[in-house]
Amino acid sequence: MAVVGATDDPVRPVTLHSLFVAFLKVSLCAFGGPLVWVRRMVVERQHWLTDQEFAELLSFCQFLPGPNVVSLTVCVGAKFRGLAGSLAALAGFTVIPCILGFSLGALLLSHAHNGLLQDVLRGISAAAAGLIIGTGIRLLMPHRRRPAALLFCALAFAGLAVAKLPLLIVVVVLLPLSVAIAGRAAAGAA
Amino acid sequence: MTAPAATLLGHLALLSLISFGGTPGVLPDMRQFVVVTHGWISDQDFSNCFAIVQAIPGPNMILLMSLIAWKVGGVPAAAAGALATFGPSCTLAFAAFRLWDRFRDAAWQRRLRRGLVPVTIGLVIAGGYAMARVGDVGWASAAVTLAAACLMLHPRVNPLWLVAAGGALGGCGLL
Repeated sequence: MAVVGATDDPVRPVTLHSLFVAFLKVSLCAFGGPLVWVRRMVVERQHWLTDQEFAELLSFCQFLPGPNVVSLTVCVGAKFRGLAGSLAALAGFTVIPCILGFSLGALLLSHAHNGLLQDVLRGISAAAAGLIIGTGIRLLMPHRRRPAALLFCALAFAGLAVAKLPLLIVVVVLLPLSVAIAGRAAAGAA
Repeated sequence: MTAPAATLLGHLALLSLISFGGTPGVLPDMRQFVVVTHGWISDQDFSNCFAIVQAIPGPNMILLMSLIAWKVGGVPAAAAGALATFGPSCTLAFAAFRLWDRFRDAAWQRRLRRGLVPVTIGLVIAGGYAMARVGDVGWASAAVTLAAACLMLHPRVNPLWLVAAGGALGGCGLL
């Protein structure tokens, strides 16, 4: 089976300016966590990465400490433009959105007892949770014909969300199995 | 800068380097540290900070840590708290990515990536599910989450409209 979209050359050259602006925009609309919006920008709008490449880069960042999507921003910048690219993407992602978000958050925090505000926040959270689930399903689409991939995705979900196991346990148990089976499948295909 | 703020910043920088699997996993630790061990902020303030950063745009974990730091040591602590949250981990991410990318065509790495991805996606979906369970008080909220997830699969739908619709339904007292 051919590897889909294993390109390293995006449609347009990735400039420092475009990295800064793309990650600034992403961060400014990042309700419910930036992952949803980063995928939309990097995969759907800019075509810098395929869904497959995006999921692989996200997996890598999952095993780094710290906020995952911030690490992802650094990695996307580094992939296309090295250190300068990382700094441009990171600056776009953090500086202005943090100042605005912090001001808004501090303001809301001083009105946290307001009933209407709590109702609106609850509605936004419910929708944002749906966006994250939808993004996960989108990332799964390139793997929909791999039963082992679907199985391990379901097991990871069940372990964390249903059985409420600690993240570390889920990862330590599932990861070696998933990698071993992926390795066997690759060896069988070759 | 006050002594509590300095202690908090040191803790944030440490968490930045040891929080494997992302910062959501360190929330229980964070709560223990600022609410129980040191008593800098109340449990209610901590929960409010969390609810607010989920509902406003921006890098939510950085905003959460800076809001908590703000409660402890004012605006200078908030700025330093944000830097402490992502500075150490970003430096590490850059170095690690350079090394990882050098071997991107190696057979072992292709295999590793193939195995990692499904588990990662399961964790992402579980994260969304956990967030829905925290906020959801009834079937109406669950329906909003489900509808948003389904509409998200359509590439032409701008997710901002989904967020706005959720906020509007909530504001009308329907959730």
